[in-house]
Amino acid sequence: MSTARNIPNDRGLTARMFVTGLMIVLLYGAVIAMLVAVGISYSIVLVMAAGILFVQYWFSDRIALFGMGGHIVTPEQAPQLHGAIDRLCAMADMKKPRVAIADTDVPNAFATGRSPNSAVVCATTGLMRRLDESELEAVLAHELSHVAHRDVAVMTIASFLGMAAGMVTRMMLWTGMMGGFGGGNSDDDNGENAVLVELAILVVSVVVYAISFLLTMALSRYRELAADRSGAILTGQPSALASALVKITGEMSRIPSRDLRSTEAFNAFYFTPAIAKSGMSLSSLFSTHPTLDRRLAQLAAIEAELGRPS
Amino acid sequence: MGLLDTILGRTKPVPSNLDALFGIPSASITLQSAAGLVCSGRAGVCYKPPSGQGIEQMQEEIDRLLTLDGGEPGITSEDSFGYRWVVVTDSDIEALVTRIHMVNSSLADAGWGPQLLCSVVGLAPLPPSAPDAPVVVGPGAVQASTAFLVYLFKRGTFYPFVPTGHEQRSTEEELRLRSLVADDLRVEEDLARWFPLWDLPVG
Repeated sequence: MSTARNIPNDRGLTARMFVTGLMIVLLYGAVIAMLVAVGISYSIVLVMAAGILFVQYWFSDRIALFGMGGHIVTPEQAPQLHGAIDRLCAMADMKKPRVAIADTDVPNAFATGRSPNSAVVCATTGLMRRLDESELEAVLAHELSHVAHRDVAVMTIASFLGMAAGMVTRMMLWTGMMGGFGGGNSDDDNGENAVLVELAILVVSVVVYAISFLLTMALSRYRELAADRSGAILTGQPSALASALVKITGEMSRIPSRDLRSTEAFNAFYFTPAIAKSGMSLSSLFSTHPTLDRRLAQLAAIEAELGRPS
Repeated sequence: MGLLDTILGRTKPVPSNLDALFGIPSASITLQSAAGLVCSGRAGVCYKPPSGQGIEQMQEEIDRLLTLDGGEPGITSEDSFGYRWVVVTDSDIEALVTRIHMVNSSLADAGWGPQLLCSVVGLAPLPPSAPDAPVVVGPGAVQASTAFLVYLFKRGTFYPFVPTGHEQRSTEEELRLRSLVADDLRVEEDLARWFPLWDLPVG
């Protein structure tokens, strides 16, 4: 019989994640090389973006909990949730994260925190109301896998460049709208050059932003699949996760999206995205989470692997 | 987890460490003289049953192995968290440890080691009639447990667990027991990992 111990790594997923990561690193390299070539006048933007992201990263647990209205609960307040996480952590030999509950009917869960030591796993009351024990456990195993994979750190680093490029683009557009490109002295030759340089920077930052956005989304989807995979192998019950996914995504799309706008910023760390995407064919390129079909197919493959006689 | 595993989003299932279980008999002698506790004659193995038919065949095999030496078959039950318990009975502590080790190693050898959560050995107060007698051997010697030694497979460490009522535990008694068995067993140092096991079927 095949067991969790000899389920092979998903080479395809590993390779795709590696290639995506490599492209992000190459993009970093290209941008830095360009900055060095052009001069360092825009380095200040990088420093600012780094500062903002570092704060976001360092306080990710508090920001996410505050944004979601989650509060830390003690084992006495939520014995079932704590018990399930205790046992999963003992099986995975990982440090137990803090446990939080968010009082919202949106069925979801998220993991956040800069490192496994400061991690928080949060489930919403809507999630706990809808799922049975094994499904809830499967979702928690998925979130604990995010913690073990250090996904907050990985995604912060990956999204840095896109954020910096976005800031440059916005700054250029503002200064362009207010003072006109090239400032007041656009009559002489220096002014002409400045306009060209600024336009070039604008174009480059838009391109960098677009590429980095696509790469980050792809990376996020692969990280979700990896967390699904690790979580399913940890509990040994892929179908429990699959049934939780079906239940939640079904519920999510029925809930009016107006109420969910406030949670959109945290989608990258969610179990399933809180905004129901419309049926665009391109939407799969722009989403933080893989499609339900893709996730179910992977879980079915693991299930088959578990049941396969060796 | 290494840097490469972090970058590629992989986790490896954690193998189990089984040999430390054989430290239990000497810890039991210490507990008998220092705390008046003896082995209650019951012990349990807890694992997460994965889906699929393989684990059911494994369970039948374990039941068969347990009765091979003329011992009682294990009692299998499922707790509220979806974990399966195999509870074995033997009034002799050496034999009891051998039996739970057999259950554990059968599971681990078949590749289910990552699914193992913990093993629990029940402890009971010394019967007042025979305060200095050695551990009673023979059927009928099984008593209700008042304290437990929990073995965490993935850590290779033990911790005491003393439930006192509905979802209540005596931390004071647990810390006292910890100091007593510290020489015989590797005790879990991170107190956050001493998770409670309410409604233990090992009882």
